[in-house]
Amino acid sequence: MSTTSLAQTEVDAGEPLVSMRRVSKYFGSFRALHGIDLDVHAGERIVVCGPSGSGKSTLIRCINMIEPINEGEVVVEGVTMGANKSASEIVRRDIGMVFQQFNLFPHMTVLANCMLAPMKVRGVARAEAEATAMTYLERVRIADQANKFPAQLSGGQQQRVAIARALCMSPKLMLFDEPTSALDPEMVKEVLDTMIWLASEGMTMICVTHEMGFAEAVAHRVIFMADGEIVEHAPPQEFFGNPQHARTKAFLAQIL
Amino acid sequence: MVRIFGLDDFILLLVGLQWTVLIAAVAFVGGAVGGLAIALCRVSPKRLLRLPAKYLIEIFQGTPLLMQLFLVYFGIGILGINVNPWVAISVAYTCHASAFLGEIWRGCIQAVPTGQSEAAFALSLSYRHRMRYIVLPQALRISLPATIGFLVQLIKGTSLASIVGFTELMRSGQYITNATYQPMIVYGVVGLMYFALCWPLSFWSTRMEHRMAAASR
Ligand SMILES: Nc1ncnc2c1ncn2[C@@H]1O[C@H](COP(=O)(O)OP(=O)(O)OP(=O)(O)O)[C@@H](O)[C@H]1O
Ligand SMILES: [Mg+2]
Repeated sequence: MSTTSLAQTEVDAGEPLVSMRRVSKYFGSFRALHGIDLDVHAGERIVVCGPSGSGKSTLIRCINMIEPINEGEVVVEGVTMGANKSASEIVRRDIGMVFQQFNLFPHMTVLANCMLAPMKVRGVARAEAEATAMTYLERVRIADQANKFPAQLSGGQQQRVAIARALCMSPKLMLFDEPTSALDPEMVKEVLDTMIWLASEGMTMICVTHEMGFAEAVAHRVIFMADGEIVEHAPPQEFFGNPQHARTKAFLAQIL
Repeated sequence: MVRIFGLDDFILLLVGLQWTVLIAAVAFVGGAVGGLAIALCRVSPKRLLRLPAKYLIEIFQGTPLLMQLFLVYFGIGILGINVNPWVAISVAYTCHASAFLGEIWRGCIQAVPTGQSEAAFALSLSYRHRMRYIVLPQALRISLPATIGFLVQLIKGTSLASIVGFTELMRSGQYITNATYQPMIVYGVVGLMYFALCWPLSFWSTRMEHRMAAASR
């Protein structure tokens, strides 16, 4: 899996796939997001970083409506999320998400984890859902574990299953919330490799991660957040080579 | 004439035991249906469902079972409906079990980690599908020890039906005591019968609890 091929993957120049416009989010009186503006085009890969509590998770959770927003709007595939319930539900099917804690369904086998949503949400027939699931489990190199339960797998394996499970819904956009933060160091690479493969397939990705090597290799743009705002927003070379804001510099000095 | 406690009396007690088991079984099955409905109302995003379920649980938990029995038993009579005591008692115990199981299961549903519903929501599964395939199966597992524990309470609680005149195990014991004047023997046997019913359940529930505690470590 070489990263040289990534430079060739196309970014669609037309309408953005995701458009966040002046999005604010409050938890009670606490403002977790403040006037976020962000456009993500099909094929683009965005890495989001920032200190703990800066609103990174909240930002991506607002995109697939896990967190309802208080101000502004999130538009995905031209649909304003939350405005029309059934329209946003249909758009939400195209958004996959991978969590820090994997969140596999512990009472189901790996295969069943991957088949449930396609069958129940997309109405795919069982045989087809199983074939698709096995295809993606092979892609993330875990097909031999298909009939095991999540608890029988290592953290890295579980996270790769979680990626496969999301892909089984044929998403147009993948959200990652610190997918490697809960992993033992020796398992980080297998998950990053899977994400790099996904990037090479041209998947649109928004990744909250502090894996700066991954950001440099894969991201079109890196976003630095602090206190619920986007402080810095630049391509990786600029972001790492010549950060503009003091907070970004301090953060990078700390993390690199 | 006073007779000695014998095989006939033992058989009478077994018949009483049969009614005890039957009341408990009907109340448990009915309570499972009602309890599931109440638990689902309690965790519903809709206030209009949440609040009535909450009050219902509070009323049943805040009053003695015997009073609930009287109220339903005589209440049905006052309504002018002529039902046999067996139906009245089944209704009363079912209401009681629904409220308690509803509260037990509400706690278990809420004990399923939020990450599970979030992952299901991120996969676009509907509320119904999230409940049915993700949350409830996990909640059921968590709830088994407490649910069986409640079943034991319920079995013992059926003895109160004797007070409204229903001939279950306890009432059978009273009859036989009146005829034999051997309360120690009769109630000893009655107690053993309750114990034989409840102890294996308690044992099973405790063992399951330990196993789960071990698994979650
Ligand atoms: N459900 C919630 N209720 C109240 N406050 C919340 C909730 N979720 C998040 N917050 C607060 O909002 C802020 C942003 O949280 P968020 O999880 O988005 O941060 P983050 O950048 O992802 O941090 P981390 O690196 O620790 O994951 C934090 O201060 C957090 O305490
Ligand atoms: Mg976070």
